[in-house]
Amino acid sequence: KAIAYLFPSGLFDKRARPMMKHPTEIFPEQRKIQWGEDGRPLHFLFYTGKQSYYSLMHETYEKFLNAQKHQDQLIAQGLPHQKEKKNLVGSRWLTKIELEEMLLEKLSDDDYSRFILLLQKLMTLPCGDTEEKYVQKFTREVPVQLQKVVIEPLKYDERGVAFSTGEGARKTANATAVVYDNGTGKITVNGIDILHYFPVLQDREQLLFPFQFLDRVGKHDMVCTVSGGGRSAQAGAIRLASAKALRSFVTEREVEFMRQAGLLTLDPRVKERKKPGQEGARRKFTWKKR
Amino acid sequence: LRRLTQVRWSRYNPSFLEPEVNKELYQKPQEQLSEEEKERMELKAVRPIKAAPSSVSSSVFSDPMISKFTNMMMKGGNKVLARSLMAQTLETLKRKQLEKYHKAPEDEKEAIECNPYVIFHQALKNCQPIIGLSSITKGGKTYQVPVPLTDNRKRFLAMKWLITECRENKNRRTMLPEKLSQELLQAFNNEGPIIKKKHVLHKMAEANRAYAHFRWW
Repeated sequence: KAIAYLFPSGLFDKRARPMMKHPTEIFPEQRKIQWGEDGRPLHFLFYTGKQSYYSLMHETYEKFLNAQKHQDQLIAQGLPHQKEKKNLVGSRWLTKIELEEMLLEKLSDDDYSRFILLLQKLMTLPCGDTEEKYVQKFTREVPVQLQKVVIEPLKYDERGVAFSTGEGARKTANATAVVYDNGTGKITVNGIDILHYFPVLQDREQLLFPFQFLDRVGKHDMVCTVSGGGRSAQAGAIRLASAKALRSFVTEREVEFMRQAGLLTLDPRVKERKKPGQEGARRKFTWKKR
Repeated sequence: LRRLTQVRWSRYNPSFLEPEVNKELYQKPQEQLSEEEKERMELKAVRPIKAAPSSVSSSVFSDPMISKFTNMMMKGGNKVLARSLMAQTLETLKRKQLEKYHKAPEDEKEAIECNPYVIFHQALKNCQPIIGLSSITKGGKTYQVPVPLTDNRKRFLAMKWLITECRENKNRRTMLPEKLSQELLQAFNNEGPIIKKKHVLHKMAEANRAYAHFRWW
């Protein structure tokens, strides 16, 4: 006890214990033995090779037939009620890997797509509660996180004019834009007027796109700085920057409309890398017969 | 369901939706929307949306058909040249129509169409074939089987015929915009080599009608 007091060691501390995952996370589930003591298989579909997949298809198809019978009865009685649309929004189907984990069997792409098509067909029919619960086992929630962008309030400079800044990028071009209120529609890029900086009509159209969309063409002044990229990339970067800056001037509904028009999304398309054994990203070397 | 191993892939996640640039759709009030449109609006409110491409804008002057045609005319990625050629074509169209308009007597003035966009759309529509031919090999022999075409395919064929016609059958001295405007006017009036080509295709399809049952899709 004296030694433990005089030379304290952290080896026995609770925080020094090894942090290990639960064994179920490390070792994947294995299939239990499929046949009994006499050698006869336990499942009736064992000799198909993919017993759990085929039994799943069997069950789903049974439910589908029941739903069809139910629908026929409804039609025979009177007006069939309309199926309410759900699952549009927050859920997605199981991926192939998740389905494989569930069934503990390898699946082919074709099998997986057949199963998903069958589930989709089942969804179109009016089905009761039990069938809905069955289908929900094969759906996963998609977290909906879209409206989390914070719109900055307007700032005021020395003259008392409201302005706001925005940043944008496209391919390798980076741009920052400062949009001033009570303007005449003058746009300056890197100290040069847009008519001289962008001689091509398409680029100027892209710069004016956000303003034209919001019907504010002659009402704002803009000063931007841009670097990197080519002519079209710089135009796209400034377009994104000005759209982001205009969010502070505009109602939330119009911001939503801008987003649906594709003005506020960063374009993820970049130059694809060149692969070894090929001349470019996609082009292969000339094929020579001998 | 999309094929699981993609050959052509995109940098966007498959859950991204296409952007809608047309301003008027956003200014329509809620009551006038049909059921399908309401569903689509709800879906759009939740899903992320792709960025608008750089050839598209919400102004009156950008037309999807015209941009498609410009892209098809483009050679080696030279969009500047293709766009200027397109602008010159529309200008020459307008000039020709205005000339005709000023020369015509009063009662025919209303019948002459001056808007080059309208002429372009109508000419394209007149050039589109209704039925196409597809080669199907059966029993060693290849037959030309009449087959229905999708809208996209029809538009593509019409545009391709226009462009090849203008590039090949012109004099060395004539400029492409001139030749294109000439062809467009002819197609607008349902005459000219492209309409003839379309009729020839229709006749071939009618002649091979006996093999129509070879189609399995």
